[in-house]
Parts: sequence; structure tokens; C-alpha cells
Amino acid sequence: MLSIEDLRVQFKTDDGIVKAVDGVSFDVRPGETLGIVGESGSGKSVTNLAIMGLVPQPPGRIVGGTAMFHDANLLTMSQSQLCKIRGNRIAMIFQDPMTALNPFLTIADQLTEVTRLHLGHTRRKALDHAIEMLERVGIPAAANRIHDYPHQFSGGMRQRVMIAMALMCKPDVLIADEPTTALDVTIQAQILDLMRELQEDDGTAIIMITHDLGVIANICQRVLVMYAGKIVERADVASLFADPRHPYTRGLLHSIPRIDEGVGEVLTPIEGQPPDMAHLPPGCPFRPRCVHAIDSCQTDEPPVYARPAGGTYRCFVDVDQRTAHHKEAKDE
Amino acid sequence: MSEQATVDRNGTTEVGAGRPILKVDNLRVHFPFTRGIIRREHGVIRAVDDVSFELHEGETLGIVGESGCGKSTMARAILNLIPVTSGQVWFEGDRLDSLAESQMHAYRRRLQMIFQDPFSSLNPRMTVGAIIGEPMRVFNLHAGRSRKLEVMRLMDLVGLNPRFLNRYPHEFSGGQRQRIGIARALAVQPKVVICDEPVSALDVSIQAQVINLLMDLKEELGLAYIFISHDLSVVRHISDRVGVMYLGRLVETTESARLYDDPRHPYTQALLSAVPLPNPDTEAQRQRTVLSGEVPSPEMEFTGCRFASRCPIADAECRTTDPTLDGEVHQVACLKAEAS
Repeated sequence: MLSIEDLRVQFKTDDGIVKAVDGVSFDVRPGETLGIVGESGSGKSVTNLAIMGLVPQPPGRIVGGTAMFHDANLLTMSQSQLCKIRGNRIAMIFQDPMTALNPFLTIADQLTEVTRLHLGHTRRKALDHAIEMLERVGIPAAANRIHDYPHQFSGGMRQRVMIAMALMCKPDVLIADEPTTALDVTIQAQILDLMRELQEDDGTAIIMITHDLGVIANICQRVLVMYAGKIVERADVASLFADPRHPYTRGLLHSIPRIDEGVGEVLTPIEGQPPDMAHLPPGCPFRPRCVHAIDSCQTDEPPVYARPAGGTYRCFVDVDQRTAHHKEAKDE
Repeated sequence: MSEQATVDRNGTTEVGAGRPILKVDNLRVHFPFTRGIIRREHGVIRAVDDVSFELHEGETLGIVGESGCGKSTMARAILNLIPVTSGQVWFEGDRLDSLAESQMHAYRRRLQMIFQDPFSSLNPRMTVGAIIGEPMRVFNLHAGRSRKLEVMRLMDLVGLNPRFLNRYPHEFSGGQRQRIGIARALAVQPKVVICDEPVSALDVSIQAQVINLLMDLKEELGLAYIFISHDLSVVRHISDRVGVMYLGRLVETTESARLYDDPRHPYTQALLSAVPLPNPDTEAQRQRTVLSGEVPSPEMEFTGCRFASRCPIADAECRTTDPTLDGEVHQVACLKAEAS
């Protein structure tokens, strides 16, 4: 439905060119939840901003690739064409609902704008629809609350309003960029449940961008792991957690404290610092932090290999010697 | 409650390693708030309401709770950064409100703090050497050349290259900046360090480095920590004992392993079940207690239990009777749960 092919986004900075997204390809299938996990600066947010046509240009520049949505390339569309899709067929929710909502407009103003613009609803019809949506996302006394301003809502309630706004036009794809990171865990659980319910009702595909592997395990079916602008591993969620192949994925899984395992075991952090994106080393960008690095990692960029249980990863080293044929594969 | 009674109660209840170094007795921090154009006092926010606990030498006490539960306010009150409404803080046998200004100065040396945001808590115009040396200057420690050597020793201790002495904070990554903040806290050889969300702003891979560093330093220097976080997994990993706060109250406190294996307070149970586990198989099968509603406003007057409005097992009694924190090894403030 949505198909990204070899997406490349660069930013011009004082330090030089930053390849924020460097050859990223993936598909989003109807009704699925695709997780994208990675650290700050790994390019997970920029990928999705590019899909939405929201990369600031300059300093940003989309230097290559396509993003096909129902046979149209989002990357070459005019802003007016994009406006017909954005908020309508593809919607987005952000980490911080307070800065994403306009503090000067009531919730009613902001919610009805979407359907009046995209579906040509009258004011009355749009308002009814907005109240109905607020009820669906679990805002009590929606008919009264709708005339309140964003600051009159709590953080969790604001995120519900954002979700209601994103789903006003029943989009095909919902891009959720760290939607629960700013929320308390009990509210996070409510919001994740809500997203799952709405997805079941409407069949919306969700791209879930997060750094929280717990959220990934909770809601996603497929996962992309990003590092330094590239997808370093992709797999079904069960297989990724059961048998991570890329040393970075392994490192991530070993460095999180967990409440479901024994107390007192030592965490194994990934040594070193996240890469300086303006001065990436030659070869594999993860090499300086990698415990398995071999000579070729210094000079050559690892190609894509097939994972034994399906999916792909980018690493020369077969960590457990378990892949019988460590052969190059085509990346989806 | 009389002072004697509190001492007795706490004297027999604690399970920590050494002798108590910090003791908090019935601490209350209330903020009056005003409404309307004439700014008439309208009520009080009970940010911290009747909290008592002890911290033992060499122990890590984790404090968990959602935003607004009063965990940071409590930390500030212990450091005497905000006025206490009632109750006492004892440090090494001294009652804090009885200390003179000069003694207060010495007290601050023994108790240091590490902050959440490694960006706003370091002065961007000072070099790393000056930042770490500042507390030594304030307390007149290590004059001249020996101060520089001490700064370099601390940098090495927290895993920073001492050659970066003359660099500025913006030249460092988030994790490295947090190390600078840790070195600064350790510069005056504190006994107790209050860590307020020290790893929340860091990436997962860096978080583990800083957690390991804090645990190593504790062993090496015999520190005691009060470790405040909203992340239950991190708190479990680092703490010997854990206290759970809800709306200004401590609702459950016990040894870390016990709390996570056998949570007794319905709020603790709900908190733990809300944490998504990084394991897709267990996630798919897990039964959750999803709390309905949100934390009520702390402006409210509570007659009964503060958690009653969201509690799955609350009954009429809970709405009228305010539970106290009972128990010895496993203290719980709930009418329906069993303490022990």
C-alpha cells in the first residue's frame, strides 16, 4: 500500500553533509503495525517526515528514492497534491501533544478543520463527527469538552485528542512518532490499547516509531531496526526478539533493564557513543562500538544478508555461526 | 503522631544494609494556590503528604510513581531547596530544621544531587574542569594544582577522558554530559546522592552505561542513593528497596525483589502490569490491570484513600477511611491488602 524505495535524505550543516536517511526501503501492508526502533539521530523520524513531505528544505534535501502510495510518488508531488493526502489518507501523531496542538484554538476548531477541508463537511456535520470521534477515543463528556482549549486537557487526554484528529478521515496509514514517550506508564497502556482497538475497527496500518522495545513487543507485527540512517535489521517481532542477528539489535536487547527477569544481573551496555552523523567512519557505521567487528568492517559496508528465520540484516559477521549459508540476500 | 512512636516504628521495620543515614519523618510539603483576580488563597496542593522512610548507609532506595506524585518535590524538600510544611528530615542524627546556616552549608556537602536533563543542568559557559571544580571551590577543597588533579581523577572515575578538561558541555554527547553531572556531584565526597531521573533523557544503549557507572560508584565509594524514576525496570535493576508514591503518599515500600514479585497495593500491581515487556510472547498472553481514568487533581480534599477513584477493588470503606502505611518488612497503605 505504501512502499518506500531507497529513500535518501541529507541535511546541510556547519559540520558538513549529514546523511540522515541513507537508502531506506520498506513496505507498509494494510492493517499491520510496523515498528521502527532506533536511537536519537538514527533517522527514524526523518524517514517519516520525508514521507509526509515535512522535511524542511533547506537545510534538508531529499536526494533520492521513491515513496509510492497507491501508485503515486509522494516525494515528487506538489504541496497542493500532498495536502489532499496528508491528514486525510496518511495521518501523523507526535510525541508531544501540547506542541502539536494549537493553543489558541479550541479542540472543536482543530478537529472540524480536518473533515471540513478533506471531506467538505458542513460545520454542523463536522462538529457531530468530531464529538463522535472524541467519544471513541474515550474522552468523557465529549460534547462539552470539545469547546475547551488544549491546555484544559491532561497529557493523556491531549494525546487522545491527537489520535482522534489523526483518525477523523479514517486514514490508510497512521504514522505515530513516539506517541507514548511523554506519558506515564498507566496512561501509555491505555493509549496502546486504544490504538489497537481503533486499528481493528478501521483497518488502519500503523507505523510506530519508538525507542522502547517493550512498546514494540506490545503492539507491532514487523520491526525495522535503524542505525545511522540505515535499516540494519528487519524481521517479524517474535523472531527479532528470539533471535536478533545484528550486533546492534543484540546490544539493545542486552542493555535494557527488565522487570520480567532476575534481579542483580549486570547490564551489558553498548560501549562508546552514538555516531557523529557528519563524520561517519568508512565501512560499517556501527563498527567502532561493535564487539564482533572483523577487518572487512573497517573498509567495506556490509551488504544485506538473509536471517535464518526470515527477514534481513546488515552485518558481515555471523555471530553464532548459525546461518548455514551466510549469503547475500535481496532486501525485500 | 509523637516523635518517639515514629522512631520505634521505623527502628524495627527497616531491612537495609547499614545504619540509617537519612530519616524522613511525616514529611509534608503543601503549596497554597490562588484563584481569581484578587488572588485569594483557594486551597493547597498536597505535593508531599505525610511521607516517612529511612535510608541506610550504602543502600539504594528507589522511588517510583507517575508524574505529579510528589517524588521530585520530596527530593527538593530533603535538600532543603523548598520549605517543608511539617515533619522532619534527619541526617546523621541531626535534625535539619535545627541546623544553623553554617551547618546547613556542611550538610549540603554530604548530600548531592544528579539531575535529569544533562543539557540544562550544566552551565554552557563553563569548561568541564570548572564545572567539576566549582563545588570544591565553594567548599574550599583542594586548592590550586591539587584541585585540577582531583578534577582529572574524577573525570577518569566516571569514564571521561581527563584530557577534555578544557572543553565545554556542548562538545559532549548526552551520556557524557550526564557523566559530568555525576563527577560534579561526587566532587565534594557526599554520603548520599539524590538522583532525579538520571537516565530518562538518555538513549537506551547509553542508559545502561550510566546505570552501570552509578552502581560501580556506589560499591567503590560506599554511597547511598535515593533513585527517583518513573521507569519501573530501571528502578528494579538498581534499587535495594523501593517505595511507590501516589499523589503525595508512599503507598508501598519493601525490598526490591519482594515488591516486584509480590506487589500488594493495587496501584503497584497496576503499575507493574502496565509496563510493556520486551518479549512478544509474554506480551501476547499477559493479563493486564488497565487503570481507568487518570490521577485526580492534588487540589482535591481526600477523605478516604487517594487511589479509591481508580482502584479496581475499592469499596465504600475505602472512600471514607484513609489507610496508613502498615507493616514491617513489606509496608502497604491499603485497607484491602495485607502488610507483613
